[in-house]
Amino acid sequence: MSKFADIQIDGGIVKRAARGDVRAHEIIYRAFATPVYSICLRFTKVPAHAEDLVQETFIEVMRSIARFRGEASLGSWIRRIAVSKALMFLRSAWTKRGQSLADDWHDVTEGAVGDHGVSNHPDDAMDLDAALANLPDVARAVVWLHDVEGYTHKEIAGLMGKTESFSKSQLSRAYVRLRPMLEVTDNNSQPEGAVVRSY
Amino acid sequence: MSGDRKDEEMICALTADEHRALQRGLGQLADTMPPRAVWHRIREQADAEGLFQKSGSTSRRFWFGGAGLAAAALLVAVMLPGLIQTPEDTGIIVPQNLPTNTTELSTLQTLMVQSRQLESDLRSLPDEPRVMRASTVATISDLEGRIAAIDYQLNDPDVKMTSDDRTLFWRERVRLMNSLLQLRYAQAQRAAF
Repeated sequence: MSKFADIQIDGGIVKRAARGDVRAHEIIYRAFATPVYSICLRFTKVPAHAEDLVQETFIEVMRSIARFRGEASLGSWIRRIAVSKALMFLRSAWTKRGQSLADDWHDVTEGAVGDHGVSNHPDDAMDLDAALANLPDVARAVVWLHDVEGYTHKEIAGLMGKTESFSKSQLSRAYVRLRPMLEVTDNNSQPEGAVVRSY
Repeated sequence: MSGDRKDEEMICALTADEHRALQRGLGQLADTMPPRAVWHRIREQADAEGLFQKSGSTSRRFWFGGAGLAAAALLVAVMLPGLIQTPEDTGIIVPQNLPTNTTELSTLQTLMVQSRQLESDLRSLPDEPRVMRASTVATISDLEGRIAAIDYQLNDPDVKMTSDDRTLFWRERVRLMNSLLQLRYAQAQRAAF
């Protein structure tokens, strides 16, 4: 599902970038700028902050690409840098406000999704986008990392410096908020009302 | 992050169908391209931090590379009549490095031909449908942007490239053109039904 996994870059261009070739770096930037910006915008919601994070991410790529050994794909590597920068930004914002990650839910009024007049149509991307944007920052980040980028709770916990339970709890609360958005059309694959819980 | 590992994760508060609907919906959300100015800011910072190759040494290496390519081309021109004839006729000993250079030249030419063919195939497809998914528009725009960036590098008279550079950039161009063609072809097929 992650957009990063679909992007392939010739190994020769990566080697040239590792030698500091500006043209190779521009090709890498053009290839990954959109997914990096999208994830940063998704996490911060503020274009100016997302632009700063894109800059920080690619400067880090330029500083470190000589050490990139190709054990993971280039896309996974760049995504890890972008996610780390974005989470660091969120953490510093919370710290400045004197809040901890777990306090985030207090800023969001109950039923915020419904208040925005969202429909129950599952394919309405605009509504889902709005519902996602109305989640607290940390919960939105957890949903995105888990359900789009494919991170496990253990990995998310590691990135956030929290426990797996924290990640699971954030995801569970976010799902409760997002659930009114999800009108399921195919009821054949699972008994009606069945809830999957696997710990 | 494999499927097996994901199965072990908690999917709490949603049914399996709801979870699938959520993942599908999230996957369909449109990506956003950053403003053009961001690359210029990155480049300025990287220049200031000295993260790019120094242009002096770069151009010198390109110059040597260019000289090497010119020498190889001259060698090919001189030796080519001999290569066309059979060895028994001439008794010419072919230099060891010649096939490599010839291969490089022919690789570049092959890539250029492939690129032209892909452009021709792209032009032969029907016009883009008036209504497209935002994610498809973003992907097409992204691919076109990446191809344009490569074209800019290949056509900039101030940029001196070795044959290796040129081959690398043309190979990337062919790969991106191929992705664009596949996307546009799938789009045309969907529009036809």
